[in-house]
Amino acid sequence: MKIIHVVFALLLVIAGITIFVLAGDPPMGATGVPHPTIAGLSMGGDGTAKLAEIGRAPYYFQISVILLAGSLLYMGVPEHRRDTMLKACFAAGLAFALFVWIMLWAGYESYLATGETTVIFGFPAPTNWMFWGVWGSFVAFDLFYVFAFRRYFLHPDDEAAFEALVQELDAERGTD
Amino acid sequence: MEEYRQPIILLFVALYMVACIWVGLWAMRRTKSAGDFFVAGRGLGPWVVSLAVFSSTLSGFGFVGGPGLVYATGLSSIWMAVCSALGFATGYYLIAKRIRMIAEVRNAMSLPDIVFARYGSDAARLLTAGTILLGVLGYLATQILAMGVVLQSILAGTEMFANISLIASIAISSAVLIFYCVTGGIVASVYTDLVQGIVMIIAGALVVITAASVFGGGFAEATDILLASDGEDVMPFGTLGPMASLSWYFLFGLGLAGQPHVATKMMMNRKLSDNKVILPMTVFGYVIAAMLWVSVGIIMRALVLGDVALPLSGADEAAPAFLSTYAHPVLAGVVFAGLFAAIMSTADGFLNIGAAAIIHDIPKALRGRSLNNELFWARTATIVLSLVAAAIALSSGQLIAILGAFGWGTFAAALVPVVLIGLNWKQASARAAIASITVSLIINFAIQIFQIQIPYAISGGFLAMLTSMILFIGLSLLEKPKPLPKDIDRIMEL
Repeated sequence: MKIIHVVFALLLVIAGITIFVLAGDPPMGATGVPHPTIAGLSMGGDGTAKLAEIGRAPYYFQISVILLAGSLLYMGVPEHRRDTMLKACFAAGLAFALFVWIMLWAGYESYLATGETTVIFGFPAPTNWMFWGVWGSFVAFDLFYVFAFRRYFLHPDDEAAFEALVQELDAERGTD
Repeated sequence: MEEYRQPIILLFVALYMVACIWVGLWAMRRTKSAGDFFVAGRGLGPWVVSLAVFSSTLSGFGFVGGPGLVYATGLSSIWMAVCSALGFATGYYLIAKRIRMIAEVRNAMSLPDIVFARYGSDAARLLTAGTILLGVLGYLATQILAMGVVLQSILAGTEMFANISLIASIAISSAVLIFYCVTGGIVASVYTDLVQGIVMIIAGALVVITAASVFGGGFAEATDILLASDGEDVMPFGTLGPMASLSWYFLFGLGLAGQPHVATKMMMNRKLSDNKVILPMTVFGYVIAAMLWVSVGIIMRALVLGDVALPLSGADEAAPAFLSTYAHPVLAGVVFAGLFAAIMSTADGFLNIGAAAIIHDIPKALRGRSLNNELFWARTATIVLSLVAAAIALSSGQLIAILGAFGWGTFAAALVPVVLIGLNWKQASARAAIASITVSLIINFAIQIFQIQIPYAISGGFLAMLTSMILFIGLSLLEKPKPLPKDIDRIMEL
């Protein structure tokens, strides 16, 4: 199976989850409720009720999005450079991103069930997973780009091949 | 010093604007051709490109509209910012190298040039240019509106300009923007981006420190207020809920590489190997500056819900109100200059790609060549575009961030499949490109024009982008692969 087929399959899964969500009847206040006295300010309302119709659909939606993001990034590495080490690094990076998401969602569900949360670094724990975890999980891919740049993203042989192509085209244009 | 607050703020903003005008005059001497005007001759160093990429990405939408959204709906919109690491990764993994290579071998000046090189289709080039023009008008309107709102809030605090109108504020700020864009083109744009990026990083960092000191207990005290009054707003999905937040993550994370004002800057670096340095600098700059988005919004919401401050007249007032009330006058001056920097750094990019679409891409697609005397017409188109966008800004009556999300969605839905996937998959076809761009535009504009309310506040841009990606791959898979031009085929191997 080629990577484009994986991308296509994941897009269809995301579309399926989205259709499931759209097909349901959203509960009252599914996107918050207006503040009773302050214009332009919305309140969250009952978080549990918001998920009553769609259950864990957002959870599976985001798992698919993370896998899709990883698959798209993988497409950015030239085919002939995709070795076992690259696959291992991508697997580790995606596992970390999924771990972060699972922790975030578990923390949020726990808050919905108990109404309580731990405040760390000034914000609730699930919010910290969002701020630093969701952002950081793809910073790992950014750092991989930096450290593996010459091995996977602009190999000296590929750079030389491009320079040769430019010279070849210049020569052709010069003879036209 | 407090009695001089408004004059100090005005002084910083005026100094910043004078600097922009000076850069415009300096750049005018270096702008001798349409190539200089649109792509700066592909000779920029890594610092300039990285600051230009990040400052173009984080615009008035993020710096003014972002805090407004957090004030109004809690942390839902932060998913648009935390996806930045993914967004820049997709940009550099998937398009930065190829777009720069194609620009060099085909002497491309714009994204539609790249699309034409890849698909060999004038229709695809025309649709790409048309999409850019439509998206630019929506997005540029956001920036112009944001400039007007910020300038009005500053001038209204002075005796002399207490009753200044939004129209007058838009006219003054737009005049500076138009001046340096018309005189210096992309050279002025990227060098003002350099200054603007630095100002934005300083502003973002200083505002976080100031925001943390508004309450004695720092952000934890603000969080306690929010948890007591609502709770959902300070949890990861804000008041709009998970599906709205996650659809924004998809749209903004995977859609960043489809933003033409960002992608175009990836054509301008001097060396391909500079990308290794540009990516981390871009990610670092963005995250520091984006802290303003979270911190100002959350503090203003806590102040109002905690009965410490009066409710704002509009959500977009969150950043100006915070700076006018809680920041030290000098800091407020720096950050107000930073707000203008954020707005202008994106607006100048839009003016540039919009002008390229009008005078270079659309004529090339329709009659095989661009206009004569491109430089003159580029400058004329820049002025016309600004005036049209200003008119849209004044007549739309929408929040800055909502207008910005529409512009972003238009670009992402139409261009991500064609550029991001198309430059990495040889089987992608011109017909699929044409179909996916067309369908994405229809969905996006139908949702906007008919004001269709999507359940769970799922982003309309996300729906359009998901549909166009599926359509693009599905249709391409159904077609027999066609041979690519030799140069493009070899570039796609690298």
